[in-house]
Amino acid sequence: MNILIGGAAGQGMDTIAYLLGKALVREGYGVLTAKDYMSRVRGGHNFTKLRVESKTPFAPAEEIDILIALNEETYEIHRESVVTAGRIIFDSDMFALPEVEKRGVPVPLQTLAKEAGGKIMSNTVAVGAALSLMNTSTLQADELLREMFDEKTAAQNSAALAAGLKNVERDSCFSMPPATNTGKHLFLAGNEALGLSALASGCNFLSAYPMTPATGIMAYMAGKQDQLDIVVEQAEDEISAINMVLGASYAGARVMTCTSGGGFSLMVEGLSLAGMTETPVVIIIGMRPGPATGLPTRTEQGDLDFALHAGHGEFPRAILCATVLEDAFYRLNKAFDLAEKYQIPVLFLSDQNFGDTARSIEPYDFTNLRYNRHLVNVENLERPYLRYRYSRDGISPRALPGQFPGETVLSDSDEHDENGNIIENAVTRKNMMDKRLQKMVPLADEMDEPIIYGHDSGNILLLGWGSTYGALREAVDILQDEGLKVTLLQFTDIWPLPVAAVNKLLPQAKVSFCVENNATGQFAGLLRRETGLSTDHKVLKYDGRPFLAKEIIREVKKHV
Amino acid sequence: MTKTADIKPYLRLERYPTIWCAGCGNGQVVGAFLRAISTLDWDPKKVVVVSGIGCSSRASGYLNFNTMHTTHGRPLPFATGIKLANPELHVVVMAGDGDTTAIGGNHFIHAARRNIGITMIVFNNGTYGMTGGQCSPMTGHACKATTAPYGNLDTPFDICKLAEAAGATFVGRGITYAPVKLESLITEALKHKGFSVIDAVTQCPTYYGRLNKMGSPADMLTWQKEHVISLEKAASLPKHVIQDKIVTGVFVKDLRPEYTTLYRRLHEQCGEDDCHD
Repeated sequence: MNILIGGAAGQGMDTIAYLLGKALVREGYGVLTAKDYMSRVRGGHNFTKLRVESKTPFAPAEEIDILIALNEETYEIHRESVVTAGRIIFDSDMFALPEVEKRGVPVPLQTLAKEAGGKIMSNTVAVGAALSLMNTSTLQADELLREMFDEKTAAQNSAALAAGLKNVERDSCFSMPPATNTGKHLFLAGNEALGLSALASGCNFLSAYPMTPATGIMAYMAGKQDQLDIVVEQAEDEISAINMVLGASYAGARVMTCTSGGGFSLMVEGLSLAGMTETPVVIIIGMRPGPATGLPTRTEQGDLDFALHAGHGEFPRAILCATVLEDAFYRLNKAFDLAEKYQIPVLFLSDQNFGDTARSIEPYDFTNLRYNRHLVNVENLERPYLRYRYSRDGISPRALPGQFPGETVLSDSDEHDENGNIIENAVTRKNMMDKRLQKMVPLADEMDEPIIYGHDSGNILLLGWGSTYGALREAVDILQDEGLKVTLLQFTDIWPLPVAAVNKLLPQAKVSFCVENNATGQFAGLLRRETGLSTDHKVLKYDGRPFLAKEIIREVKKHV
Repeated sequence: MTKTADIKPYLRLERYPTIWCAGCGNGQVVGAFLRAISTLDWDPKKVVVVSGIGCSSRASGYLNFNTMHTTHGRPLPFATGIKLANPELHVVVMAGDGDTTAIGGNHFIHAARRNIGITMIVFNNGTYGMTGGQCSPMTGHACKATTAPYGNLDTPFDICKLAEAAGATFVGRGITYAPVKLESLITEALKHKGFSVIDAVTQCPTYYGRLNKMGSPADMLTWQKEHVISLEKAASLPKHVIQDKIVTGVFVKDLRPEYTTLYRRLHEQCGEDDCHD
């Protein structure tokens, strides 16, 4: 069951998607919502796709069963995607559908809303109408309204919901897939999962500058300041944001900043400072299409090369990425652990597709989270305390200023000696470079091999990384149903690149594809640099929109 | 006459001699700072000195506190992070006029706006010394620099007015010619709860002095002496008379809630009345 809710910015599509989605989750369905919106506050054309299945889907679908058109433009743009047996709920107060259109379900949204208590509740009426078409009661939606609003507002919305439900005749409703989920499920967007993970990982300091599509992470964490003793500071720019988190990290906080490519450009100087001073920091880059302002509200995987090479000078770093809600929560936790264990910057790549897509999932298992600050304690502190003491694995003892009586912590962005004093002599410089870069060796052992999905060694091999996982997974399912042997390797840990699985499977495959949401095949380039291997084909999409399974299948079939 | 304090324990003497030129005023500012801090009952291990890049920012490398020598222009955001993460620490920022008003100008006004409990000592010599005497936003109009060989076209900032307008709650200016006054200004600034700024006017004989034919270091200090005027005196004089003077004293001494206190209050309030709706 696929629903598309469309209208102009400001018409309340988010509310409809949230209310409808969450009500269906509580009914026991698996739900996914994906947002497509323009960079404007009012007007334009925005929509949210909502997919409802027995088990939670991984990606949105192309075809539409129910279209909720809050304005005429939505009908014009999406009518061809609505299946023949589909239904189009439209605001009959605003416009009429052409006579030839047989799928229309007129609902006077505004009139019904006014009767219930106010025009603003038009979107609640629409939810009622949609629930009716899905032969679902308003029980869960009513409960949600009571959780969201005060008593009076909830009652008015409830009336609006009932009016919408009554307006649509039940004999025209769809047969729904069985609702099989039991127990509580989370319904959350990628950005919320990342914020939640940061908090669960003990992150107590975030400084950032608002930038779509990463702002949701900051907003989520700022909203938790009433329950947690954390600092969420909006800096004057991204240069300040990264330096603030580095200062806080030096002083002992567990820190993170989040931004998009443009903001990360400003952070690059600070990234290098983190590299030189060996200050732990986690940086989420919520990618969107560039260059420059690009397409602010859309998606791309265009900043992998940038993340790999950002920063002047040579220093160790790790790069992880968000593939899917079930993994990203634990993956970001790993980023915090690596940052503090190795005293390095860890870059965490997300994108608009991941950040703005919400899905219903089983609750996270907090006992699977790692929490170790990797600080020295008094018992194992070697005197004199040397912040950059040489060691076999390159990791020096990290203490905090004021932590130990009689000890100070020296740090310097200039090259320094073991104590942190500025130096210029050649021998120390080389030793310090070797010490820092040595950390890449044990770090490489920490990298997880990619997620393997589908056939365990199929003759068709698909490679992906990050948020393309949902579409790729669905493509694999469909191709396998057609009798093809398809293996997907989806990378979650990108740098240092884990190569065992790909070294084994790529040479065996009859035909291979690297699938990326960018124009130049940046991951394919990385793979070649690190392994000497190349896929036969690249499937690249860079129109600002996420992949659909169908598009991947189309490309694969050209070569199979 | 104040008793000369023993400032040696605050210095990493093994790092001496300093990189500063003969006659440079940076040591005089650092001396005033150390004498000031010695009058306070502070645990030196709870003091963090954060500096930027440039001659004066090398000061942190000679000080026996927790120190962080950051990148050019960025000491204030770094220090803001430290103070927010651990408000128990005494955080002092030392930076030059280029660090503060050029590349770090945005950070400077926003630290003032936040009124965060940091003391900022600006070593203001009107030039970029370390890189060879280039122009700074504090270089006087028509003064010479290696990047303004025919005279600077710009008009410099007034750091104190800038700090005041941006919301700093303690603002003072002193000169290296009058180190005792400078010391007491810094003492007041260190004690102040909120963002405190000291515009410490100092001399760079090697570049600024030479390029502008100001003579020896002693001549430069004499120039200071001849051009200094107290805020009280300046108040009664017409604008054109004080135009090329160095006005010293305390410009702002205000009470406004300090930023980390506001954060603490937010957390306490939320804990009490459950602001979660």
